[in-house]
Amino acid sequence: MSLFLQQIMNGLTLGSIYGLVALGLTLVYGILHIPNFAHGALYMVGAFMSYFFMVDLGVHYWVAMAGSAVVVAVLAILCERLVFHPLRHSPPIHDKIAAIGILLFLEAVVQMFWGADFRRMSSPFTGIMNFDGLIIPEQRLLIVVSAFALVVALQLFLRKTMTGATIIAMAQNRDGAFLVGIDSNRVAMMTFAISGALAAVAATLYAPINLVYPAMGHLVIMKAFVIIILGGMGSVPGAIAGGMIIGFAEAFGGFYISTAYKDIIAFGLLVLILSWRPQGLFAKGAH
Amino acid sequence: MKIAKTLGRAVAMATLSMSFATGSIAGEVNIGFTGPLSGGAALYGENTLSGLRMAADEINAEGGIDLNGEKTTINMVSLDDRYSPAQAATNAKRLKQESNVPAVFTPHSGGTFALQDFNEKDDFLVMSYTSVPAVTEKGNTLTLRIPPTFDGYVRMFTEYAQEHHGKKLGLAGATHEYAKIWASMIEKEWKNEGGTIVSDNPMDYNKSADFFTGVSRVIAADPDVMFVGGASDPTGLVVQQARQMGFDGSFILMDQAKLDEVALAAGGVEMLEGAIGVVPLSVYDTEAAKGFIERYQARYDKMPGSEAAYNYLALHALVEAMDATDSTDPKVIRAAIGDALKNMDSSKNPYGVTAVTENGGFMTEATLATVKDGEIVRITME
Repeated sequence: MSLFLQQIMNGLTLGSIYGLVALGLTLVYGILHIPNFAHGALYMVGAFMSYFFMVDLGVHYWVAMAGSAVVVAVLAILCERLVFHPLRHSPPIHDKIAAIGILLFLEAVVQMFWGADFRRMSSPFTGIMNFDGLIIPEQRLLIVVSAFALVVALQLFLRKTMTGATIIAMAQNRDGAFLVGIDSNRVAMMTFAISGALAAVAATLYAPINLVYPAMGHLVIMKAFVIIILGGMGSVPGAIAGGMIIGFAEAFGGFYISTAYKDIIAFGLLVLILSWRPQGLFAKGAH
Repeated sequence: MKIAKTLGRAVAMATLSMSFATGSIAGEVNIGFTGPLSGGAALYGENTLSGLRMAADEINAEGGIDLNGEKTTINMVSLDDRYSPAQAATNAKRLKQESNVPAVFTPHSGGTFALQDFNEKDDFLVMSYTSVPAVTEKGNTLTLRIPPTFDGYVRMFTEYAQEHHGKKLGLAGATHEYAKIWASMIEKEWKNEGGTIVSDNPMDYNKSADFFTGVSRVIAADPDVMFVGGASDPTGLVVQQARQMGFDGSFILMDQAKLDEVALAAGGVEMLEGAIGVVPLSVYDTEAAKGFIERYQARYDKMPGSEAAYNYLALHALVEAMDATDSTDPKVIRAAIGDALKNMDSSKNPYGVTAVTENGGFMTEATLATVKDGEIVRITME
């Protein structure tokens, strides 16, 4: 029984991280229709920023997380202003090429400053809880709790504040949003900022139980794309549900069948769900 | 507009002069390198290259070598292949055509096999840093294998682990080609020696974001010994997670992972108590090894791994062979490398390699290391 619960815990941890990364990706796609391939690089920069704040400046874990979120949010806004905004009237393929360009650029810059070394980042939560054979390292519990808290906070922001409402309005109907006088530049920058901050927080949460290195974004970004296709491009609940589905598929498939097949299980699910609902689990738009 | 034009010309001139610079000039021998310098394995490639660069700079600092009466320096030309065999082949072609290199170093088996398809025809030596036995068993006359093959390790590790830790092995290696060959060889050897394999669940270091599930599956089968391996740092994570889940047996580390580096990633040597692996360079107590470590640390400010040390000594041996034969002909160098290893300055030979097998493998003493009471100790087997 504890082995079963253990896999639930593993699925929740993975699902939380995937969900957080996918959330940022889906927000940007839903509102600006840009498939931001550079999102994985933002995630990676987030981890390196936290590492920098914690190890080189010696600040506390939470402060490092906040600092990293701010830096990456600004970086994401810069990407929007300098790259995606000037391309807004270009064919969609230009956005994609530009996004890949940003990805390569950020990876090269980080490798130039920090080298290709694998780094370990420690967090203050190194304890391990043992409930009668069910082993939960504190950091993993923190990941799950923080992810849920963030999702709730994001929902409240989108639903209950005026600024959040403008983002949803843009997602639902671009022309309508313009007609009622919503400033599209402001919404675009805000969306990128939120997506960057989410990526940085996800990376900071996950880094202590993993390694920090320039290519670390590749792993999560591929999963994040699968998740937003699965959940419906641009859908917030879709990103979370999709993240959990993939996380649980990996945990249970990996344990009860074989880790060698866990990707087959995850992608098999993708095929099944898409053949049943081609638009993804949740309808398009941040509803 | 004018500025843009001038700038354009300047850039064009710069590129032109750069392309001249890459061609081989008199008094200089280019040595090629193709390996991962970006992507997930970038660190490994960079470490390899660091040893080569250090050797080249040492040779040049001493005034280079005397080649037919002409002072000749060594120039490393490195290209990134992102660990892809196809890219390695393209790089090697380019290195041969543009820089006329007599030898190309490559730190992966895939790249080695790709280069072996045409290196005899294109006439260059493949300096292969991989312990896959097949590299030298195929009979390629212009291949040198720098580290020892791992089949020796498989026998030693199995014998030691079964004697000291138990008969039940859980396989938790990795999914890259190299790790798969390792796993199948140790599986066979382990069973031959009367042990059982209780679980087979390799980790995918390239696609998995987390190993908790995979590790818990192996531990659920209650093994005495876990086979782990891959690059040192992710292996350290696997070890750490296994200990977190209460595994108190021993580990066998595939030779790609080094005990000291794994300990660093896992959060302490005590995590590895009882683990068996290849002897990390830091544990060698010979003068040559200590001297190398000191010089490397002075230059790069970090502990060298075996990939730096082995490639360092290989380049020194290669250049020694050129010096001795007054030739850059790959066939001549290949024939002279055994003597070069024997005659070279022992301080340039941190592993004390003194001979080369008939089919091109460097010969080294068979040793293993284990962790006893929180310390890595070296054990010599018969």
